[in-house]
Amino acid sequence: MNPHRRDFVRALLRTFAAQGSWNYRSYTAGGLTYALLPLLRRIHAGDPVRLREALERHMRPFNAHPYLIPLAVGALARVERDREEGERIVRFRTALSSSLGALGDRLVWQAWRPFCLLMAVLGFNLGLGPWAAVVLFLIPYNAGHVALRIWGMRRGWSEGLRVGAVMSGEPVRRLARWLTAVDVVLMGAVAVTLAGRLAGAALPAWTGPAGGAAAALGGAAWPGIAGASAAALVVLAAVAAWIHP
Amino acid sequence: MTWSPEPDLGVWLLASLLGGLAGVDASSWPQAMVSRPLVAGTVGGALMGDPASGLLVGALLELLALRHHPFGAARYPDTGPAGIVAGAASAAAGGGVAALAASAAIGWLLGWIGARTVHLQRGLAGHLLADREGLAADPRGLERRQLLSVGLDVLRSSALTAAFLVPAVLAARLVPPAPAPGAAWLAAGGLVLAAGAGAGAGVGALAGVRRRWWLLAGGIAIGLAALTVTP
Repeated sequence: MNPHRRDFVRALLRTFAAQGSWNYRSYTAGGLTYALLPLLRRIHAGDPVRLREALERHMRPFNAHPYLIPLAVGALARVERDREEGERIVRFRTALSSSLGALGDRLVWQAWRPFCLLMAVLGFNLGLGPWAAVVLFLIPYNAGHVALRIWGMRRGWSEGLRVGAVMSGEPVRRLARWLTAVDVVLMGAVAVTLAGRLAGAALPAWTGPAGGAAAALGGAAWPGIAGASAAALVVLAAVAAWIHP
Repeated sequence: MTWSPEPDLGVWLLASLLGGLAGVDASSWPQAMVSRPLVAGTVGGALMGDPASGLLVGALLELLALRHHPFGAARYPDTGPAGIVAGAASAAAGGGVAALAASAAIGWLLGWIGARTVHLQRGLAGHLLADREGLAADPRGLERRQLLSVGLDVLRSSALTAAFLVPAVLAARLVPPAPAPGAAWLAAGGLVLAAGAGAGAGVGALAGVRRRWWLLAGGIAIGLAALTVTP
């Protein structure tokens, strides 16, 4: 039986909690199955054996970017509805798992999220109020986030086994590359403006931005050392503040 | 409840509740990124009457956290409760450079303590879902366990915030509001270099960027130009 519109809405809402049971054994399989349940109950209505077999399949280890789980939910529901053979569904699921993880990490964690965060921090550094900066981050970020989930659910259901073509599309990769390049520009701008703000009245005005710029260039050259050094510098700054010589 | 720089019982309870929501947002539900230090720090600062101080420490923590991506099973700082606590501590201690340094260090430490508790919680979730065949035969049981796991994450984050809020505020208040010039210079210098190094490390963690150096230098030039025209 075809799922109803409300089943898709319920499944979509459940995907927001898909990582709620993330664990080191089955990763996000519990959350994926939890989100699939409203659709599977409709598809296998009146056939508890098929429903149990489907649930058993989807409880196997699975991992994907959380915002692209609706794409997996839509596509997996479609192949269940189309009565694909069980082993084929398992293989399809495995292929989805790795590609959805890589695509989402690249597009969201490495591109969209830093972009929205850095825009907000830059806005604050240049005089935006604190709540305005928070809104500047949360609204655009979540507009993209929710749109991606809705798009994923629709495309997953409409494409089914052909969903791989959607994920390998060049426009998505190009968007991720372009956003990541903008993120690097924003990192530079945020580094000097935040450093200027942190220097405050304690240091001569030019030293904050200059120090921030030098540290950013050095940090990009040796990122591993820079990450640990940044944390160590914060601790040293705190120690200097606490012991106040 | 008073909206003043005192962590009274009402503020403590509210902070614990918000810490729970910020913590669960990072991974379990709904991943709207209110768990980012930028947001959580501002909320923590607002609890103590100074959202701007909270945001400033949140922005610094953000630069430190930007290189830690939640890829696969990677561990990363749990910035929700840490941001709330650091923002509150910075605001309660007056929001100066010394308070900022102290609260940022506390927030970063708490972020990694939180990461440890996330690891434990994920182990527990694994036990909850270990019986695959049993849960496949009991869909309602699967739903209950999924929701239980989300609930445990809320409790974890709330407990973390509740346990660290007051000690963090007290520790941040040990720094003088107007430190000696030498201490202020060291604290500000350390924070400036930390912000730059954190941003640089964040650039290094971004994959597949061509002409990275030119882009970074361009961003620095834009930032410097913006500073000269901003009052």
